[in-house]
Amino acid sequence: MATTPETATRRITIDPVTRLEGHGRIEIFLDGAGNVEHTFFEVPELRGFEKFAQGRQAEDMPQITSRICGVCPTAHHMASTKALDSLYQVAPPPAARKIRELVYHAFMTEDHALHFYFLGGPDFVVGPKAPAAERNILGVIARVGVETAQRVIATRRKLRELMALAAGKAIHPVFGVPGGVAKALSREHAEQFRVVADEAVEFARFTLGIFDKVVLANPEYVDLIVSEAFTHRTYYMGMVDEHNRVAFYDGALRVVSPEGQETARFRPEQYRDYIEERSEPWTYMKFCHLKKPGWTGLADGRESGVYCVAPLARLNAADGMATPLAQEQYLRYVETLGGKPVHHTLANHWARLIELLYAAERMRELAHDPEITDPHVRTMPTSAPHEGIGVVEAPRGTLFHHYQSDARGIITKANLLVATQNNSARISMSVEKAARALVSASTVDDGVLNMVEMAFRAYDPCLGCATHSLGGGAFEVRVHARNGIVTLRRDENGGIQRE
Amino acid sequence: MAASNASEAGVRVLGLGNELLADDAFGILAARAVRRRFGRAAEVVCSSAAGFHLIDHVLNIKRLLVIDTVAVANAIPGTIHVFRGADPRPATLPHFVGLFDVLDLARRLGLPVPDEVLIVGVEAADCTTVGGAMHPEVRAAIPKAVEIAGSFLRGGAE
Repeated sequence: MATTPETATRRITIDPVTRLEGHGRIEIFLDGAGNVEHTFFEVPELRGFEKFAQGRQAEDMPQITSRICGVCPTAHHMASTKALDSLYQVAPPPAARKIRELVYHAFMTEDHALHFYFLGGPDFVVGPKAPAAERNILGVIARVGVETAQRVIATRRKLRELMALAAGKAIHPVFGVPGGVAKALSREHAEQFRVVADEAVEFARFTLGIFDKVVLANPEYVDLIVSEAFTHRTYYMGMVDEHNRVAFYDGALRVVSPEGQETARFRPEQYRDYIEERSEPWTYMKFCHLKKPGWTGLADGRESGVYCVAPLARLNAADGMATPLAQEQYLRYVETLGGKPVHHTLANHWARLIELLYAAERMRELAHDPEITDPHVRTMPTSAPHEGIGVVEAPRGTLFHHYQSDARGIITKANLLVATQNNSARISMSVEKAARALVSASTVDDGVLNMVEMAFRAYDPCLGCATHSLGGGAFEVRVHARNGIVTLRRDENGGIQRE
Repeated sequence: MAASNASEAGVRVLGLGNELLADDAFGILAARAVRRRFGRAAEVVCSSAAGFHLIDHVLNIKRLLVIDTVAVANAIPGTIHVFRGADPRPATLPHFVGLFDVLDLARRLGLPVPDEVLIVGVEAADCTTVGGAMHPEVRAAIPKAVEIAGSFLRGGAE
């Protein structure tokens, strides 16, 4: 920690931010004049994963890794299953690939919808300056109405039921195997997917309508989204299809510069040629960055290798969306925000809703694809395993699973690179910039700290995943200054108590 | 997450946690011990769901007992904390905060929430080591959680 006893004489703690999943902490250090000197965020670190994985059967990895995280198990399951395809050098038959995609897009639809209403919603739907006691799920319901909230719950339930039909247990899917899936999709189930996909598309459009009414029609919110305090000019990375449109399940990884030019496009298996991790002495967080142009610290611009993943980045790294309704929204989004790349961190919320619509539309396409009910869903592996890399776009950004095994398929080395690790440098920069713009010794109050948290939350950092610890747990913002000790703590109503 | 047959008594014991993460196995192991000891007296559900997804486990039951790991500042690992649904929310409980949010939401939406909720939480030492061993004091607290569950199943509070 970059502090000495004399600078750490004032501390402001806020916990918990109940909407965040996992545990995290933002540290803000003030100088003698009470201005922000240095800021960073930290998450508790997972220990022991690699050791735990060693000696296990590679085919167990989709189950093991999906059980590590209770927040987005489907993303781990899918990245792991793809890593097994790669490990055994086997390509799933078309129906298997489509079933995987169908389940994955149902999952993305569910996760993005829940984020908007119940995690990000308190910031925008209720409003960044609303009283703390209202900035929660109940506040969102008060704004959007009980019927809308019931619709969210009902849509989620239907998606979950379908995922369970297609993939087994919805929380921890058990269907991915190297070279395919465990069971074919019946015509009846495909029909059920078609019905729910239609509803999901309507629901996504309805949700974009709410965003229009509540956020875009409010000049104060739009000003906030495009404000310099919430803007960074970095590289962006995301998965794209053969036409450079956003892809979640499979494709190439594409990187664009802060000016929007393509600077790399590579197969996920090549990721180590493009990305590396960097340790800094003042935190145990590791910062991912692009090998070219390299690490120049937590800095914006073309010369800095800092990059960004997740919805904002995916829409920047792509040339558009592969489905018609989402593409319309994409064009409107780019035009409204002044062209690409969109550098405004808070635009992640809007980008996420465009992806929600895309996920629902893609689900509908797949459910109507006659090939998806083909009973041939497994290509049996025949090659000896050695090394496998599987990558998907998780809701929170690019997720890598990388395994090595012996010839019997026993894991000898395993590494995960999760979304929030990809984003760690830019998240740190965002928190620091928002804090510099908004926080000083005299302005540390509920509203200002909420704004700093907003910079953080826009990335939807899955701390449960970055730390591999479960739960809807604690989160702190600490402000360290020279004079006195002030502790601010959230009470049970979400208000802040001063001690 | 699969539930056994719905309990006729309208009682559910929900063990939350993750067997892969050291002390986080507590809720799961304790719930299994409840199942072994009290059999059909309650529906026992084990889950590693987090956040909003807890909603799958808290509806359509009259009385709900949740067993989980918690992190209350400065408590000794293995300490058992008991909270009632109506108590003020403690600040930093890994699954617990999400649980209350979910119950609030469900109540607000007119969904069938339990009449009574009791949470038994054990203070954990480590929930972030994959494949880690449980702290001996945390493991030793399992019988106490089972006792509290027994009392809850008989209709008492704790």
